Amino acid sequence: MVRCSCGYDPGGIPRQQRELAIKFNGSAREYFRIWIVNLCLTLLTLGIFSAWAKVRKKRYFYSHTTVDGTPFQYLGRPIPIFKGRVIAATAFLTYYASSHFFTALLPYVFAAGAVLAPWVLIRSAAFNARYSAFRNMTFHFDGRYLGALKALYRWGIIPVFVLGMLFNWWGKPAVAGIALLVFGVSFPWWIRRVRDFLISHSSYGNRKGIFSATGGQFFGVYFRSGLIMVGIGIVVTMFSAMLIASMAKKSTLMVWFFAVPMYAGYVLAYAYVQAHSSNLVWNHTWLGPLRFQSTLRGWGMAKLYVTNALAIVVSLGLLIPWAVIRTLKYRADHMRVLQKGELAEFQGSDMSAVEAIGAETVDFFDMDLSL
Amino acid sequence: MITLEGTYYDGRTPVAVPARMEFARGSALLIAGQTSLRHAAAALSVSPRIGKADRFIALPDNGQFQCPDHPFLQSLPQASPSEGPVAWLEERWGVALAGIAITACLLLAGYFYGLPAAAERVAARIPVETEQTLGRHALTWLDEQKWFKPTNLDLNTQKSIRAGFDRLRSDLPLKSCYQLEFRASKALGANAFALPGGTIVITDGMVKAANSEEEVLAVLAHEIGHVELRHTMRSLLQNSAVAVAAAAVTSDAASLSVAVAGLPVLMAQTKYSREFETAADEFAFKLLKQKGYSPLAFASLMERLAIKYESDKMFVYVSTHPVTEERMKRARAAAEE
Repeated sequence: MVRCSCGYDPGGIPRQQRELAIKFNGSAREYFRIWIVNLCLTLLTLGIFSAWAKVRKKRYFYSHTTVDGTPFQYLGRPIPIFKGRVIAATAFLTYYASSHFFTALLPYVFAAGAVLAPWVLIRSAAFNARYSAFRNMTFHFDGRYLGALKALYRWGIIPVFVLGMLFNWWGKPAVAGIALLVFGVSFPWWIRRVRDFLISHSSYGNRKGIFSATGGQFFGVYFRSGLIMVGIGIVVTMFSAMLIASMAKKSTLMVWFFAVPMYAGYVLAYAYVQAHSSNLVWNHTWLGPLRFQSTLRGWGMAKLYVTNALAIVVSLGLLIPWAVIRTLKYRADHMRVLQKGELAEFQGSDMSAVEAIGAETVDFFDMDLSL
Repeated sequence: MITLEGTYYDGRTPVAVPARMEFARGSALLIAGQTSLRHAAAALSVSPRIGKADRFIALPDNGQFQCPDHPFLQSLPQASPSEGPVAWLEERWGVALAGIAITACLLLAGYFYGLPAAAERVAARIPVETEQTLGRHALTWLDEQKWFKPTNLDLNTQKSIRAGFDRLRSDLPLKSCYQLEFRASKALGANAFALPGGTIVITDGMVKAANSEEEVLAVLAHEIGHVELRHTMRSLLQNSAVAVAAAAVTSDAASLSVAVAGLPVLMAQTKYSREFETAADEFAFKLLKQKGYSPLAFASLMERLAIKYESDKMFVYVSTHPVTEERMKRARAAAEE
């Protein structure tokens, strides 16, 4: 294998395989200033500036991530993002008001949400792709509403859920229990389908993404994280029971002997899922001549989460930018891009303008559908 | 003449070509490998400055020139002019320090003064009728979920408490909205609460825990205070605003936000709810005295509930309405005035 991370493509001679260096070179000091300006102006303008804040933030992350020496470019502009935010805020207020004041309307709001979800999915994916560029070529997403609808609801899970809400089936514990079990077991396959939809409709130049992970592999990730959680739970319960039994004086503080390690177990299981589902997605994605190798570890991610959280709490939030930069660096350090064939295989095509509405809805409701 | 060294991308393939650009007398000459292209400088469009990152110059023929940041680029047409001043702010540590100070002041002032004042004004403008639907739904739900059973109080007790309740509300601005409900509840013990829109529920346990009708009325006066001061609406507005602000501050640390922001948000919201309790107390003491009752009745009932709570851990009312020395002191002070 020929390894090369030089800045420019020599082009011409076909090579077997080479690695394109991926680097994140953002600095915590620089990003701190961007972050505080964003936060301060967003508060001063009662949220209006948040559209600019988002653009500046993404621009910083993109511009400081380089593949083979070239930074990514973020093309999003504040005004369309602001429009999207207004619509997302309206949708959120509708949901909020109906969940607090007009509870009778809530099932209809959920139904409307279920109808709109595929649209939100495709619009946000299209927006993100359209406004992300590398070497003067934007990404592209061509998923359609019907495709998204099928990807999200092929097994009719959400329609059943909405019907259940409408006719109050959830009051019956047996129905709810079975439904919960079905949701739980089918969830990895659902995740796979959504990922597949997003990746196989994304393209760069004339090359589409190919996704080959199976639902069983996703199931394995969730299953193992469940085992971690259960394993730690059993050990913690045994130890804390022994400890409490051996102590003469009982106090309510002993709850902490149990609660703290249990929470640590939860963090570890969560980090495991984050790391390994991300690995699974990247390691089974092809884009033209490129493939990816992600080597995140659950343990490493958990350490990162815990130290970040401690630093943020101790610094009253001032170390948030440091934590963000550190996390992005960590992720970039555990990612490799391998090239087999020529980058010239990617041929540019016409680009069409996309509105910002979809992308903002995802942001506002904080549904993390990104890779 | 200004020369910038960089890279050229034609927009048709992601192949990087070393290039340079020469600017002279309003025109820009791009030299990339064998080709050289001339454009008017006014037809170019430069990406915004961000950190120390490279800049991208879009050419009229869909090509792109990438180069390190250079002061000269500021004189070319900008792709996103509104970001220029923002970039200027981002580059200064003085601005960042001022930003910390302003953000801290905004968050603290908003939390202690701005938000409560704004919520009070907004709540005052929302008609009580919108809350009444919510209150009725809540009561129906509580009844359906078997939190409550019908009251076991005899009709005479009910009637005399109702008469006292009517006396309390007779001069209040929202007097027509009130509705008193008696319920029995094992789970809720000795309890009383105001639902949105003026429905006040008192449990049999609470009526029995009271030594006199005056004590029952003291609790009801406190609940009337919550309704009259629009506490449901105000706490809804304030708590949502706190949650939104916390989400805004921690949005960058999204994967951590629950762990990091959860406790501070809870603490912030608890402080508001304690303030509402104090305000409802003050309101109740004034109302009781005005109607010829003594605020001492409130103090004595609360103390008795607290002792019972210590002994059998049953009375939930005092867990949401903590009995503090300060609270008792205020009740006694109000009685002596």
